[in-house]
Amino acid sequence: MKRYDLIIVGAGPSGLSAAVEAAKRGMEVVVFDENEKPGGQLFKQIHKFFGSKEHRAKVRGFNIGKQLLEEAAEAGVKVVLNATVIGLYQDKEVVVKIGEEIHHYKGDSVIIATGAAENMVTFPGWTLPGVIGAGAAQTMMNLHGVKPGKKVLMLGSGNVGLVVSFQLMQCGCEVVALVDAATRVGGYGVHAAKVARTGVPFYLSHTIVEAEGDECVTGVTIAEVDSSFKFIPGTEKHFDVDTICLAVGLSPMSQLLKMAGAKMEDNPKRGGQVPICDEYGRTSLPGVFVAGDVSGIEEASSAMIEGRMAGIVAAEYLGYTDEDDMNRNVESLEKALDGLRQGMFAPENRGKLVEKTEEGIDVSMNLLKKGYVADDEIERYPGVTHKVGIHPVMECTQNIPCNPCQDACPKKCISIGDNITSLPIVVPESECINCGMCVASCSGQAIFLVDEDCGDGTATVTLPYEFLPLPKEGAKGIALGRNGKKVCDAEVVNVRSAKAFDKTNLLTMRVPKEYAMKARFFRATV
Amino acid sequence: MTERRIEEHPILGVQEKGKKITFTFDGKEVEGYEGEPIAAALKAAGLMVHRYTKKEHKPRGIFCAIGRCTDCVMVVDGVPNVRTCITPLKEGMDVKTQYGASDKPFDV
Repeated sequence: MKRYDLIIVGAGPSGLSAAVEAAKRGMEVVVFDENEKPGGQLFKQIHKFFGSKEHRAKVRGFNIGKQLLEEAAEAGVKVVLNATVIGLYQDKEVVVKIGEEIHHYKGDSVIIATGAAENMVTFPGWTLPGVIGAGAAQTMMNLHGVKPGKKVLMLGSGNVGLVVSFQLMQCGCEVVALVDAATRVGGYGVHAAKVARTGVPFYLSHTIVEAEGDECVTGVTIAEVDSSFKFIPGTEKHFDVDTICLAVGLSPMSQLLKMAGAKMEDNPKRGGQVPICDEYGRTSLPGVFVAGDVSGIEEASSAMIEGRMAGIVAAEYLGYTDEDDMNRNVESLEKALDGLRQGMFAPENRGKLVEKTEEGIDVSMNLLKKGYVADDEIERYPGVTHKVGIHPVMECTQNIPCNPCQDACPKKCISIGDNITSLPIVVPESECINCGMCVASCSGQAIFLVDEDCGDGTATVTLPYEFLPLPKEGAKGIALGRNGKKVCDAEVVNVRSAKAFDKTNLLTMRVPKEYAMKARFFRATV
Repeated sequence: MTERRIEEHPILGVQEKGKKITFTFDGKEVEGYEGEPIAAALKAAGLMVHRYTKKEHKPRGIFCAIGRCTDCVMVVDGVPNVRTCITPLKEGMDVKTQYGASDKPFDV
């Protein structure tokens, strides 16, 4: 039986990060993954990540994946693919199915980084071809280049539902509605707003009554639910769709730990059955560690930090590093992880209604119920100010851990300060040079450059644009408001694409000046 | 190949594909790209039903697309229960709708 210093199960963001840290400290590491390719779900994430520089904010997920694979290769990490770990037994014996063969390995330490699986909901017709998981949609469109459908209804308004809805539109699908039984949008408001402004209607307190079709989905009926999640008769709405996408949460894939006899708990704040572990991923079994979603649903950025911690802790466990090195490194990682766990969406706030921002400003209720900040709510946020000439308007209205905008501006017009979750403010007396770096750097696509009065009765609005076809200078069309409805006619006067913008194009449209603070998206008239 | 393929993506650009090849679905010739999952080629060809369940003869297709749910299994080169979403497509593959665990349609 082959023996390794460290066996890692799962070559996703946390498993690979753990492998890198352990290998750098001299451990012989092997990573098993059941998939054909390493990287877990990172290669399906095409949006820019949140956080700060240390979390690789504003870098797109698949690019973070590429960096991680390079780092793992450099550190000499051995990754075995198409290798399904089917058992974890006493004394850390790991049983792996590779092809049609069963192999046994012994790990002097083991890190379980198996991630999570998608949850499902059932309704009449849910087994029809055309009802798919949101992860399936991402896999098909972002890995295999195939559209999941023509017309899609999304169930679930968490970050997955919001992000995947946007991605569906990016690949050319029509999203007819975003539906959630909850009373409030679950994900980041900025993710919701960028979907809503394109015209996708949000139906909160609604869920699916039935998927229609004999051989595959041809339509769907939704209806409003009351506070006990019962359908309210007469509220049914029908949509012709060929695809229904389910984004109703994730559950940790912790079965191997349970099998090995690790102490488990049912913790709804962590997403279900999770191993009891300390902050560094040590489980109740000596030498068995966990990292990433398997120990509590979060996101790839935190999974990577947890992975690094687990890798270092495992190295210390076997004497490949001393306690000092461990403490020093783990401390800075803890700080980075803490940064990501702040704000309104921190794990302890899960499911809670946060009514005020850290600054004491009322949270937009329209954002929570309809996916966009209403025109009469937007002025109360510190990123929304008025001045003569071009200036940034930051429609960032919730405290989330993210700050690339303040570093993006070469003129230091934008400030968040040391508290990563603070709302961005416009620095008084600062001078905007219309470079567009802030617009492109905002992972939430919430920054606009506005010239409220060009002197000829018009205003210009520069917005982030990540769709094809990219409108050309001179294109005529309509400006849509935050709610996705037409506010006025508009003409594209400038289109900028630059390497530094990383595929976020900057589209400047001219609108009558009274719509400068209302027009937030452009649609060309065909 | 069809309008179901993403020709050019605003972020990913033009995605690299393997060689264009031919395989059969229930005896009919279908085009796909070598190495992509069988399920992706079927999806791109607009073929939604992969199998019918044994007891109730209900249709099933792609659901998770990552090899977990086993809804997309078909009879491939004579072998039943092949997870088409994670099995790479090869030239000349014989892909058949699965009825229960067989490629023979149910007697109605």
